[in-house]
Amino acid sequence: MSETQSQLLNQKITRRDFLKYTGISAIGATTMSWLLPGCTSKDIKVFETADGMIIHESARCTGCLVCEATCSVGNDGKASQVTARIKVSQNFAYGPKGVRGDWVNGPGEMGNFTLVADTCRQCEQPACALACPENAIFEHEGTGAREVDPEKCVGCGTCVRACPWGIPTLDPETNVSTKCILCHGYTACVKDCPTGALQYVSWEDAIQKYKEHFQV
Amino acid sequence: MALKGGWAGTILRVDLSTEQITRESTEKYSRYIGGMGIGYKVMWDEVPQGTHPFAEENRIIFGVGPLTGTGAMCSGRTNITSLLPSNPFHGVSDSHMGGHFAVEMKYAGYDAVIIQGKAKRPVWLRIVDQDVTLEDASVFWGDGTFNTIAGITAIMGKSSQVAAIGQAGEHQVNLSVIRTGASHSAGGHGGVMGSKNLKAIGVMGTGSVKIAGDRNAWHKLNKDTFAIVGANNQHVVPSTPQAWAEYHDPSSRWTSQKGLFWGAAPYPIETGEVRPEEVNKIGYRTMKAIKDLGPAGEKYTVRMGGCASCPVRCHSHLHVPELEAYGVSPNVANTCMGFFSPNGVMKGYKVAGKTNDEANVIGRSMGAQIADDYGVWCNYGQLGRDFFWAIDHGYLEKVLPRDEYNSLPLDKIEKGDISFFQDFYRRIAFKEGELATLGEGAWYVAKKWGFGEDYWSYKGNKLWTKLGYPVHHSNESDGVVGGVISSMFNRDAQCHTHQNFLFSGLPTNILKEVAAEHWGAEAIDEVANYTPANQAKAKFTKWSIVRNVLHDSLTLCNWMWPMTVSPLKDRNYRGDTGLEAKFFSMATGFKVSEAELDESAERIFTLHRALTAKQMKSSNLRRDHDQLTGWQFDMDPDKEPFTKGTIKLDRDDYDTALTLFYREMGWDEETGIPTRAQLTRLNLEDVADELERLGLLTA
Repeated sequence: MSETQSQLLNQKITRRDFLKYTGISAIGATTMSWLLPGCTSKDIKVFETADGMIIHESARCTGCLVCEATCSVGNDGKASQVTARIKVSQNFAYGPKGVRGDWVNGPGEMGNFTLVADTCRQCEQPACALACPENAIFEHEGTGAREVDPEKCVGCGTCVRACPWGIPTLDPETNVSTKCILCHGYTACVKDCPTGALQYVSWEDAIQKYKEHFQV
Repeated sequence: MALKGGWAGTILRVDLSTEQITRESTEKYSRYIGGMGIGYKVMWDEVPQGTHPFAEENRIIFGVGPLTGTGAMCSGRTNITSLLPSNPFHGVSDSHMGGHFAVEMKYAGYDAVIIQGKAKRPVWLRIVDQDVTLEDASVFWGDGTFNTIAGITAIMGKSSQVAAIGQAGEHQVNLSVIRTGASHSAGGHGGVMGSKNLKAIGVMGTGSVKIAGDRNAWHKLNKDTFAIVGANNQHVVPSTPQAWAEYHDPSSRWTSQKGLFWGAAPYPIETGEVRPEEVNKIGYRTMKAIKDLGPAGEKYTVRMGGCASCPVRCHSHLHVPELEAYGVSPNVANTCMGFFSPNGVMKGYKVAGKTNDEANVIGRSMGAQIADDYGVWCNYGQLGRDFFWAIDHGYLEKVLPRDEYNSLPLDKIEKGDISFFQDFYRRIAFKEGELATLGEGAWYVAKKWGFGEDYWSYKGNKLWTKLGYPVHHSNESDGVVGGVISSMFNRDAQCHTHQNFLFSGLPTNILKEVAAEHWGAEAIDEVANYTPANQAKAKFTKWSIVRNVLHDSLTLCNWMWPMTVSPLKDRNYRGDTGLEAKFFSMATGFKVSEAELDESAERIFTLHRALTAKQMKSSNLRRDHDQLTGWQFDMDPDKEPFTKGTIKLDRDDYDTALTLFYREMGWDEETGIPTRAQLTRLNLEDVADELERLGLLTA
């Protein structure tokens, strides 16, 4: 990790401070392409690589869902598991595939206790953005996070269907899509996680962390 | 008054007899906050005096509050109100469960679900936002809670949350639970669901809970609360000496320390030392397995779990592979009495090839898992104590038919064979034979099996009153303070307000300073060196109950709240008792002070008292309800009350404590019945009128 990035991840910064760091070095897309199943659109649309992503260490996660409430209240002014951009609850009880025959030994709090979170990878070729017919998903100039422009979004749900991890979500109360925007660099879910199961890391470090038991 | 935030705004009513599903506004109940408050109001308004808990006329109310689902710290509780089957006069009571059911209910759009009537056939209630239906439950009827919850989740979708009863609830066993999630049980009301032919409630919500206040201010408030929270039970010092800590207390549940691991995690995870400012480590502070199960609990711990929005994780999630040999899931989650109550049924465990410590973990896990699946409630450990009283005093052999007695594998108890649990809990849950009387609750067992006075007055039986419920932080917790608290409910008190403060782990001199600031000098004493009743103790008693009621109404976890003290030396170890009001004000948009919110909770508890008088048909609750079993005054015969080393109470002093407490509550000092003046002050004139009409109002 670069010194600048290290500073970013380890100190308390405001969103305004973060904007100063615009243009942090992007990481080669080819290096990361193996991490991105599902983001295989052949459409050519150039996105700068995001500065980093939020990753989840399953073994440390205790399923308190503090992250989801923090995210949705901070971003929407209301608590909601559906609009939370970090998604633990949707796989909480019986894992990503729901109740299976051998649920006792399967994932989830009702099984073998393995919790599987879905996080936004801020994909290099984001399926959500590439699929959006209104070009409503853009790259934030500060963090590189892929964001939804609520003015352009028509609520068609194409992005929801395109994302392999189910991150973009149509807010059922506004019919506008939402997704992880890295809190413009603040990453509230990471800061509030009571067990440090969430981390905001550079793409470079994500590869290393992935090898160290993290789920990316 | 339009509701702006916090509350969902709608209450769901399901009449199982007519299959009508209707909605009403929460506004009618806003003065009763939520959860417990809504439950009592519904019970007062709608359930006739003398109703049996299993009658169609009884209600069962699943209530949550304006803070549930907001993300406020430790706000994941569901409050369940109904008449209590195990209580001899069927007084109104609450059971509570944690987990994630409560927040899902809020996101589906409901502050409460009122269930009434009785279905013609077994049903389960399906709630998906506004889409609410009654579904056929015949395929689940007869099954345990684990399979039922899995089956309903398979139908509803993986994001749903389910609360279900087991076979004990179906058979209307008085001591039965409603269970949700891997390990969250509400004890006492499972049979009420069973009597209504309601197997389960499944809920899935895609909505939200609005925060009326500024979102950044809300986030700051929550973060500030992170900074002053302790470990489980708000223990604010570590259990071992640590360089950063001025104090430590071996009994603290702040167990995190170097060399202590979640030993069965995919890779060992060290809890390590957790300093108060380390927000991202709060979840490691409490490793409950070593408190509930002993040292061997460490190596079986996969991780800790608990409720929504709680950073302090008090449920141990274990992998116990030895259980597979008994046909039981090796993945066990539970906490506290879930693990302790099996010890009442069996007094020791033996497992081939295992040490006694390991066998202890395996045995307790086995008992917890089976009791949870059948949905049997232990009555805070009383079920096991009654069983052994019956064995040890020759009752069991006398009251059970010979064939039944001979069929009991009592030799397994002697051998420490944990398969005994399967036989024992099955008989209770399915009401098999005379032994199943144990499942009716202590009062019924004593009456039917002819237990004598010695049963009630034996200290080891822990029976607090002759209404058949045991101690739950009573005279060990500040003498008459805990004593009076334990006498005010219709079941074990479940009040941790006083307990959390008194046993936070801080030195007595600091606690005395804090107590003096809140309730006056001499509110508390050194542990087991208690002084007589006084006004400060009465104020502390009232505050403890009022905050308990407040938490069950907001809903917040009374196992964690209030934050009376903190781990922070730079705050002089003070916490912030105004936090509940701050959260409430910001969530709902109605600005209330700490005192105003406490008054709302006082209204709720006064209504509880009126409900008790009404259901008991008593115009003298001091005489009929608040009396103890005797051992509290006669224990430690070689010691006098108010001397060091005993928690013995004095009869006259206990009477004085009741009088002082009644005075604080505005109740008739002779009878303990709320006065008209106090009921009027709390806007409960209709309650006063009804008590008067029934001939129960005494002042």
